Amino acid sequence: MAGQSDPGGSTFTAAELEFLAEDETVEIVPNMRMDTLDFICGQYGPLRPQITAQVPLWLAVALKKRGNARDDIPDVYLVRSLIEDIKDVRFHKIGTGMEKLTGRASAIVLKHISAMEVNIVRPFTARALETFYKLDSPEMLPDSERGAVKHSQVADHGQRRPLRPNR
Amino acid sequence: MAKYYDIDDILAEDELVPAIFKVAANEVGLIDSSDDTNKVESGSKVELPFWLASELHLRQAVSVGFPRCFNKRTQEEIKADAAHVDLRNRCPYFYELGCKIVLLTGDKSIGPVLLVAFMTRYKEVLIKAHTTSLTVAPKSLTLLTNEETKLYEAARSSTAAMKKWRMGGPRLQKASVLGRKRKPVQ
Repeated sequence: MAGQSDPGGSTFTAAELEFLAEDETVEIVPNMRMDTLDFICGQYGPLRPQITAQVPLWLAVALKKRGNARDDIPDVYLVRSLIEDIKDVRFHKIGTGMEKLTGRASAIVLKHISAMEVNIVRPFTARALETFYKLDSPEMLPDSERGAVKHSQVADHGQRRPLRPNR
Repeated sequence: MAKYYDIDDILAEDELVPAIFKVAANEVGLIDSSDDTNKVESGSKVELPFWLASELHLRQAVSVGFPRCFNKRTQEEIKADAAHVDLRNRCPYFYELGCKIVLLTGDKSIGPVLLVAFMTRYKEVLIKAHTTSLTVAPKSLTLLTNEETKLYEAARSSTAAMKKWRMGGPRLQKASVLGRKRKPVQ
């Protein structure tokens, strides 16, 4: 699935990611009674007063706006600042990880990384990898130099595959 | 031909490369303007744009060499400190042109230089793009080649977009055609 803002490309805008994030389920405490809601994306409810229920975030927001439910976040300000801290630490880690990128890596594996984080580094990383691929191709380097310029590669990253034309 | 419509590819091929004529050619005195005979002697050195030089090279008419931006001195500078070499001044399409010449002539001697240069400068771009403030452009931007500038811009625009979203920018964006009568809000 690609973002609508960038036809042909594969990046999302932050707002599009926010929209997608609204499908995550959260826990709410309703204060009214409602039967099971049948949606295309699934069934939610039934909602009973003071009994926690799992609903998607967009539904939770709608219910809260109408005063029909409350969330169980004790200190919103604390949560905000914690998220900010986590974001800083993680972006720093991603940055240091990306410094290790050298030739020979025709693809990188990013584990446990959120959609927003991938989205931020994607344009840069994809471009850089493409240039690395071009400069590190066997047609570009003399045989004696192959592998001599790489610094700290742990393992060969598998076979070289021809690039799909995407630009 | 895959990059037929790529403007950067076209511009990269417009860079001048030194070439030595292997054959004499008539009616092309324009290329070698050292005399008025309107012909090029075999063995004369000329500077041709890459697109012309490569076609002539394929027809065995000229032999193509490396332009000045790949000379010994630049190579030494790159080995010493690649991050601070003014590659934009020497050749804004350093990597693209280098790749093209290597593929054309089969002379792989500058391959490692290109790779090392990009590896070192990539790190510099990475750090600068994600850390410097969004309003002030760092001075070192003027040293970057075309490809590196694009990398920098890619990183910066995605970081800026995220920041804007986090600050809670306008949720609804107005089409630019609307509200033209009013004074533009800066």
